[in-house]
Amino acid sequence: VQICSIFSDTQRTTAGHRKSVIKLRKIQEACCYEPTSNSGKDTRDFDEDEFNYEVGRCTVRLVAVKKAEPAGDRVVRFLGLYLSHANEKDNTLVAEEYDEGFAETPSSRLTSYILSLVLPFLASKEKTVRFRSTQLISHIINSLDSIDDDLFQQLRLGLLKRVRDKESMVRVQAVLGLGRLAGNETEGDPNGDDSDDEDAGGLLEKLLDVLQNDPSADVRRSLLLNLPLTPTTLPYLLERARDLDPATRRALYSRLLPSLGDFRHLSLSMREKLLRWGLRDRDENVRKAAGKLFRERWIEDCTTTQSTVQECSQEGNAVAEARSPNFEGLKELLERIDVVNSGVESGVAQEAMKCFWEGRADYREEVVFDDSFWDGLTAESAFIARSFNDFCRQQGDAKFEDLVEEKMPEVTKLAFFLQRFINKLLDSLRRAAEQGDDAEDDDTAELEFIVEQLLQIAQTLDYTDEVGRRKMYALLREILALPELPEEVTRLIVEGLRGVCGGDPAGEREFCGVVLEAIAEVHDTITGDDVEEEETDPDESFHSAKSELSEDMPKRLKTSRSRSPEVDENDEEKAMKEILVNMKCLYITQCMLENVEGNLQQNIHLVTMLNNLVVPAVRSHEAPVRERGLTCLGLCCLLDKTLAEENLTLFLHCFNKGHDALQTAAIQIISDILTVHGSSLLSSPTCPVEEKMLYKMFSKALKADDKIGVQAAACEAACKLMLGLVVKDEELLKTLVVAYFDPGTAENLGLRQGLSYFLPVYCHSRAENQMRMQEIAVAALHSLILLHDNLDEEEEMVTPVMIASHLVDWTDPRKVVSVRDMEALADDIGRKEISKSIDGTVHMDLAKDVLEKIASNASKEEKKVFCSVLGKLYVSKYSDVEKIRTVYELASQIVEDKLLSDAPSRNALNKLYVALGKIIDSLGEA
Amino acid sequence: SSPPPTRTRKEKEPFEIDFSSPLNPILAETIYTPTTTMSSISLPKTQWKSKTRNLLPDDKHFNSRQLLRLFLKPKARMGSKRKGFG
Repeated sequence: VQICSIFSDTQRTTAGHRKSVIKLRKIQEACCYEPTSNSGKDTRDFDEDEFNYEVGRCTVRLVAVKKAEPAGDRVVRFLGLYLSHANEKDNTLVAEEYDEGFAETPSSRLTSYILSLVLPFLASKEKTVRFRSTQLISHIINSLDSIDDDLFQQLRLGLLKRVRDKESMVRVQAVLGLGRLAGNETEGDPNGDDSDDEDAGGLLEKLLDVLQNDPSADVRRSLLLNLPLTPTTLPYLLERARDLDPATRRALYSRLLPSLGDFRHLSLSMREKLLRWGLRDRDENVRKAAGKLFRERWIEDCTTTQSTVQECSQEGNAVAEARSPNFEGLKELLERIDVVNSGVESGVAQEAMKCFWEGRADYREEVVFDDSFWDGLTAESAFIARSFNDFCRQQGDAKFEDLVEEKMPEVTKLAFFLQRFINKLLDSLRRAAEQGDDAEDDDTAELEFIVEQLLQIAQTLDYTDEVGRRKMYALLREILALPELPEEVTRLIVEGLRGVCGGDPAGEREFCGVVLEAIAEVHDTITGDDVEEEETDPDESFHSAKSELSEDMPKRLKTSRSRSPEVDENDEEKAMKEILVNMKCLYITQCMLENVEGNLQQNIHLVTMLNNLVVPAVRSHEAPVRERGLTCLGLCCLLDKTLAEENLTLFLHCFNKGHDALQTAAIQIISDILTVHGSSLLSSPTCPVEEKMLYKMFSKALKADDKIGVQAAACEAACKLMLGLVVKDEELLKTLVVAYFDPGTAENLGLRQGLSYFLPVYCHSRAENQMRMQEIAVAALHSLILLHDNLDEEEEMVTPVMIASHLVDWTDPRKVVSVRDMEALADDIGRKEISKSIDGTVHMDLAKDVLEKIASNASKEEKKVFCSVLGKLYVSKYSDVEKIRTVYELASQIVEDKLLSDAPSRNALNKLYVALGKIIDSLGEA
Repeated sequence: SSPPPTRTRKEKEPFEIDFSSPLNPILAETIYTPTTTMSSISLPKTQWKSKTRNLLPDDKHFNSRQLLRLFLKPKARMGSKRKGFG
């Protein structure tokens, strides 16, 4: 009776559990042990068996309690707490008698009794009973240190069966218990003596299998957080960073990884992947959790070691030391994520540091960029400065503008440091070239990275101060002409120059002039050695100094070609060098053109460059030179409509005859040309290329399942052109819809993901786009049904009914943006009116097409798919009245002719028929 | 102004397990009846394996920005000219 009331108490709140435990323990002691003294009243009215029976009776009550009732959970917790407490007490009592091993005590007998009692319930037909019994067993397992061996095996088997329970809530509980058991197994000998039992030893393997394959995210998440962390399990656990379920991904970042211990035990590539996946997750909460992990946990791992190193001399309070900003720790953190590689453009270190500065005001305030900082730049510290600078300047409301101005050096100073590191880089490059071995590579890569960071910072500075501006201008101009510098550095120099030159047309002309000057200098290095040997043309330096550079360039190209065929080694080397230098010149040209927007003909520098550098390159016999020339020519075409017209045929030719990369480039160039100049370009009488030829190109590329890159590029280009209303071709739209569902594109994630973004946006952004989709919907669906009918065994494709519902959704007039805006503006009363009064003509048109298709010679299966459309249409009296009548007549004809054999199809048709009938009646009344 | 009258909400009868009274026979039956066949309480075998291991496909991070820029000039926004151009 007392036991009952104790259990009753425990179900209400967990607060009194400790007291209840003590009360129950008193009763148990009274029942099971001889009274230690005969003084006091003898309470031995009951013995141990009766006590156990009574506790068991209460336990049985528990297993019928529904999952939603917290009372049940409380009693489970109480039982766990009690058994753990009682076993502990008993074990200390018997500790003197048994030195080791499993001692049988009243509490161990109670535990076994309860567990054996509940064990059969695991196979109950009621899900609630299975849930509670599994929960209880797992909870007890997790509360205790040891369990009787025989029972242990039975529990294990029972729980293993529940891992495949129909109900995910039962599976969750089962894996919670097994996770613990698996932990025990890995501690001991994994291949124990029970090899006759086929489940033995394989428990962990089984659970890892469940972790990967269970359809319920709750189960996977519970396992993720409850499996033992070992070198075997770790890869499986970390893989969940890409789990389908956002909450599971977040659990990995916010719970598993912080508890994992020092992140430096992870491999470098794993750190990078975890950061990249987490910080770029589609779910904001996952991104936040990953950011927090980086700026709070990982930095902590690094600062702790760094501060203990420093603390050898100063015996301070280590805790406070570790918490306060520690820039050695931050540098180590960046080193640990290999910033030289992850800190490049589009590298994950960019995002990581952005969120670091965002969340660490302490570091933001304390960071110092003094002269000694710049003197001793490393890849890590350079990235700290660059990312801090980026972060402060990218904040919308300029709230960190003062902070960054205060901390960053002025232009002149930065130019000074830039120069110094450029020199170091040049030295290193030259040494590496001389020695020809890889020893210098690491140093060179680091210096290159540092220079890139400095150039990135330089691009954001304020150039209103003329002294600083001149200094930076002169420096950039000078270093641009260094042919040894790597391409990325060169690109940043060109961009820097563009910024320093100012944004107006005059600035652009100055920019082009100065870049072309540098190109001429680079070009001169082709004959660099010869110049000294041969008689130096007194005009040479003059020529190359200004824009007349162009005159001597083609001359050289020509002479190199007209050379006699007998090539000695020296000539070969020379030819090689010539190609390299030409490539470099074209690269600078390309970078320059990317930053130019004015009209080509109005810029004399550009005209000369086109004629003397780009055109010869396009005609070159060397493929790399020719291809880079084509890119430059494409860029020029963006600046001149006539030039674009003249060259469309050339680019089309590249697509038809070129290799994959060239095809991709051609598609991109043509797409850009059309975007910039508009499709009116094609209708101009002087243009040799017709629209049809371009659509043919797109359709050919979109169907090239074996060329993933070309296909994806064509898809992206087509999306751009259609979204920008440059191209309005319905055939192309149909091709895109078919490509989206075509099993042949399943491997092409770029195409699939692009279209899953594009198609709804395209249809729902403009009514006219939506109408275009309606026009092709039935034809596209028909093609896709045919594709589906002829699927190979290993091919996968969504069902035609699913495709049909996508098409209905894309053509739903209520989803067009302008309509949604109106709804958002209207108040509650108005909203109903508006949503009722949306013009539903698009869906009436669709209904008409579908019904005509059904009335025609469609197959039975195809009719079913088309009928599934009918049931989902938006039927409104605010549609074209004539069209409503037409659809109604078509529908009634099909009803009369009894063209439909199956019930769902007839119902869908009837639904439409009745709805239209009502509307027509109401029109008649009005 | 006077505070709004506190609405009296119908409290849901709190659930309580009755440990003292004897188990009623209907409940006893639900508790003690085991399933007739294992398969009726188990996950169908077809769901034991997931082809994708329940992992996301590689994310290509397709976004609207990508559709608004030129292939050849990724930094320049389409249609926007620099200030000062006429």
